Amino acid sequence: MKPRIAIFSLTSCEGCSLAILELEDCLLDILGAVEIVNFREGMTERSWDIDIGFVDGAVSTPEDMKEIEHFRECSKVLVAIGACATHGGLNTLKNYQDESDYRKYVYGDQAARFPTIPAQPLSGVVDVDYQLPGCPMVKEEFLEFVKVVLTGRTWHLPEDPVCVECKRNGTLCLYEKGIMCLGPVTRAGCNAICPSYGAKCEGCRGVVHDEALKAAGINLREQYDVDLQDVLADLRMFGAYQEKTLP
Amino acid sequence: MLDRVVSQSQLLALVDELALSRRIVGPVRRSDRHFYGPVDRADKLDLDFKYCVYSPKAALFPADQTLFEFQTGPDGFQTSPVYDESPLALVGVHPCDINAIRLLDRVFSNTNIDEHYLSRRRQTFIVGIDCPTPCTSGVFCRDMKANEAREGADIMCSPLPPNGVSDDVRYGVVFGTDAGREFVLYSHAGDPPTVDDERASERYISDKARAFPQSIPYDVDALPELLERSYDSLLWEATARRCYSCGSCNLSCPTCYCFNTYDRLEMTLTSGTRQREWDGCQLRSFAVVAGDHNFRAKAAARLRHRIYRKAKWVKEREGVAGCVGCARCDRACTAKISSVEIYNQLAEEV
Repeated sequence: MKPRIAIFSLTSCEGCSLAILELEDCLLDILGAVEIVNFREGMTERSWDIDIGFVDGAVSTPEDMKEIEHFRECSKVLVAIGACATHGGLNTLKNYQDESDYRKYVYGDQAARFPTIPAQPLSGVVDVDYQLPGCPMVKEEFLEFVKVVLTGRTWHLPEDPVCVECKRNGTLCLYEKGIMCLGPVTRAGCNAICPSYGAKCEGCRGVVHDEALKAAGINLREQYDVDLQDVLADLRMFGAYQEKTLP
Repeated sequence: MLDRVVSQSQLLALVDELALSRRIVGPVRRSDRHFYGPVDRADKLDLDFKYCVYSPKAALFPADQTLFEFQTGPDGFQTSPVYDESPLALVGVHPCDINAIRLLDRVFSNTNIDEHYLSRRRQTFIVGIDCPTPCTSGVFCRDMKANEAREGADIMCSPLPPNGVSDDVRYGVVFGTDAGREFVLYSHAGDPPTVDDERASERYISDKARAFPQSIPYDVDALPELLERSYDSLLWEATARRCYSCGSCNLSCPTCYCFNTYDRLEMTLTSGTRQREWDGCQLRSFAVVAGDHNFRAKAAARLRHRIYRKAKWVKEREGVAGCVGCARCDRACTAKISSVEIYNQLAEEV
């Protein structure tokens, strides 16, 4: 029996759902191996008998709360895809602002129609079996995950930081140009795509491990002449790190 | 003693001749730096480079390499090895990187014969270019006795001081192998060295000996003993507190040869490849074994392990140090941890 797959979206741009459709080169192969039974962005039919439920988006409204609990109940395995689902993502930026302010500048005089709660990742509300981080999630990693599940092997996220991929790619380290890149503290798996185009890593795949973050705190205070608030702002952008100060 | 003298334009013509039958990898300019990269013509190379950000290691030992292909089917599980035997020329390799390749040659051919490396290496022609002065500050190649390479290159070219006759850079060429000798002599490139050229070469060698500063109070032969006494130094903990464990030192090192293997499956799930990718002992998961036990879980233990590998253990096993003093690790370190500083601090402690 083919595994029955569903793809759901909470508060997000649904770019990670779109990334699945962008796998057009192997979409037919995937469809040969699995049965997609619920996918708002890709089909109209709906079923709630689900083996693996993929969810993009953060829990950011009371409606999201209800939906994620329903998705969890219906899915034997629940997978968070993309930074919003794994870390809260860009949605968490509102968590640092005054609620009445952002409600007003986003919804204007209609704010009362749109209830909102502090944004959080899926894991803040329900048990999540697997996480595929990134903004957007990495299509190739999604494919690898599907293959691992289909062959009954164990899934591991990369435990290395982005620097490893820059070195394997032969990319010039942005620190050599004096740019505070978040590569040393961010989980690899994106093939270091931003630095390969000369842009600093902004941590969309989350912090690789606490030790790296601790080293960052020490280095940024002792070795680099930088404004810690700027680095914190970068770390918060995709919800990778939400504390007020570096360790 | 020189074997031949060639001008830079003659050397480039030689490279073009190599390019008729080989892939060429040499110094090219990119983002204001130099990198070893593939070129199809010699005039795309910049032989006046100071140093390349990364070593040419990736041409011999790729960052991600297919070891074999496998498939399952009615006939069971089948594998077929993958070797790259396409002829290659590495051009503009400095003594540090030539010495690093010599170490890789030993490592991949002693206890475990690594045909994936050796098949490429056998097809590789190396054009070395010597350094009259340190390529940049912070290098400690002289301390590691790696700022000269009498062996390893097929031809070794040293830029001679100007002779007042021609503006073109002239190189004194020494043949390192029979292949190098045959290649240069059959192509009739350049001229036999004159008495003046030999004198210029001698002056080059004596100038060079003065141009490289000593960076570490102990030279490479004494470092194993220094480290022997430094196992319990407080330095490891004090320095490693800054370490991100990002592995940049390992992955930019011309002598690091550790790798991890993994399988890449085709979407059919019945065939795929076994890959190997560069790994590094500074990465947290490097020493994780079955049962999730990590036998080097602390950054301090990992840092000590790297320094011991570079200056003690590899030397004791292979006869040459595991470090060539190119300082790529120090430049790559996102926490500004310096191995030169570590050696100097340890030397002060004992």
